[in-house]
Amino acid sequence: MTAVLLGLLSGVAFGFVIQRAGATDANEMAHAHLMLNGRIPRFMVAAVAVSALGLLGLQAAGVGRMLVLPTSLVATGLGAVIFGIGWGMSGYCPGTCWAAAGEGRMDAIFALLGGLAGTAVFAHLHETLIPILYAPTNLGPLALSDWLGPALGTTALVIVLGAAVWLIGIIWGPSEV
Amino acid sequence: MAELEKRERYWSWLSSAAALGGVIVFIFATFGPPASSSGFVTTLKGFLSLAAPDYAEGKEHYALMPGVGSWLMAFVIGMAMGGWLGGRTWRVPVKDVPEIWERRFGPGRARRYATTFAGGFLILFGARLAGGCTLGLFISGSTQLAVSGLYFGVVIFAVAMLVARLVYRDTGRGVIS
Repeated sequence: MTAVLLGLLSGVAFGFVIQRAGATDANEMAHAHLMLNGRIPRFMVAAVAVSALGLLGLQAAGVGRMLVLPTSLVATGLGAVIFGIGWGMSGYCPGTCWAAAGEGRMDAIFALLGGLAGTAVFAHLHETLIPILYAPTNLGPLALSDWLGPALGTTALVIVLGAAVWLIGIIWGPSEV
Repeated sequence: MAELEKRERYWSWLSSAAALGGVIVFIFATFGPPASSSGFVTTLKGFLSLAAPDYAEGKEHYALMPGVGSWLMAFVIGMAMGGWLGGRTWRVPVKDVPEIWERRFGPGRARRYATTFAGGFLILFGARLAGGCTLGLFISGSTQLAVSGLYFGVVIFAVAMLVARLVYRDTGRGVIS
C-alpha cells in the first residue's frame, strides 16, 4: 500500500511538473524537435544534471536504490530509432502521453491507446525478438562510474550536460532563461 | 508583445529542470529509478490477468513486470492525475490538435489521431525493445551515469528531429511557438 501511495504521489508531482514545463504540449514539443525553441531539450538535459548531482548525494548518504540497465548495441539503438520516429510523428513519449491524456488532450489519448497496442505486440514477440536483437550485442550494465568512479563520473557528466544546455541555447536560437 | 507571450506560456527551462530534478531525486530515495513505459506493461498485465490469465502468465515480458498494485502502475495513473491538475490550473488552453499540426494539415482530427496512435505504437514498441523510454532509460539511466541511457538519449533526439522536419517541413518558421 505504501508503494502505491508513493507511486501516486510521485506520479502527480511528475505529471504536474512536466505539464508546467510544456512537455505535454505537442505544439511545444514539435517546436523543440524543429530546433525553433530550445526550452524543452534544455529542460530535459538540465533535469538529468540536477538529478545526477542529487543521486550522488543520496549515494553518499546511503539512501535509495539504483538499477543500471544494460546496453545492447543493436536493441538499444534500434529501439531508439523506432522510438524517435514515433516521438517525432506524435510529439508524445510514454510518460508525457499519460499526463497529456490526463489534461484531456484527445490526440494524447490516441497515443496512449497506440502505446498499449505497441506494448502488447512487443510483449507477444518478446521470446522471438530478445534472443535475436538484444542478447547478442548485450554489453551489460555499463556506466561511466565503472571507469571514473561515482564522483568523477558525475562531475564529467554534469560538465558535458552543462555544455549541451549552453550549445542548445545557441544553436536553437535564443530562449528565455 | 510576441516575445512576452512566448515567455509566459510555460515555466522556464531552469525552473522546470530544478523542479523535475527534485521529484526524480525523491523517487530515487523512496523507490528507485523512475520509469513510465513499464507502466504500460503493468497496466496491460492487470487487464490480461482478468481477460486472459493463462496467456499473461506464459509470456516472459509480463512475467518480468509487477502488475496491479505496483509502484509502476500507480506512477502512470498519478501522472495522468498530475497532468489533469496542471492543465486545470494553467493559462495555456488544452487542445486536441496542436497549432503547428493544424497549420500544416488543417483542423481535421482523424488524421491527427491516426498519427498519434501510430506514433504511440512506435514509441512503446521501441521502448520495450530498448528496455525503457525517455524517463526509464534516458533520464533514469543518464542520472545513474548509464551508457545505455546516454546512447538512447542521443539517438531518440537525432531521429525525432529528423522526422519532425519530414512531417512539418518549414511550417513552424516565422511563427511564435
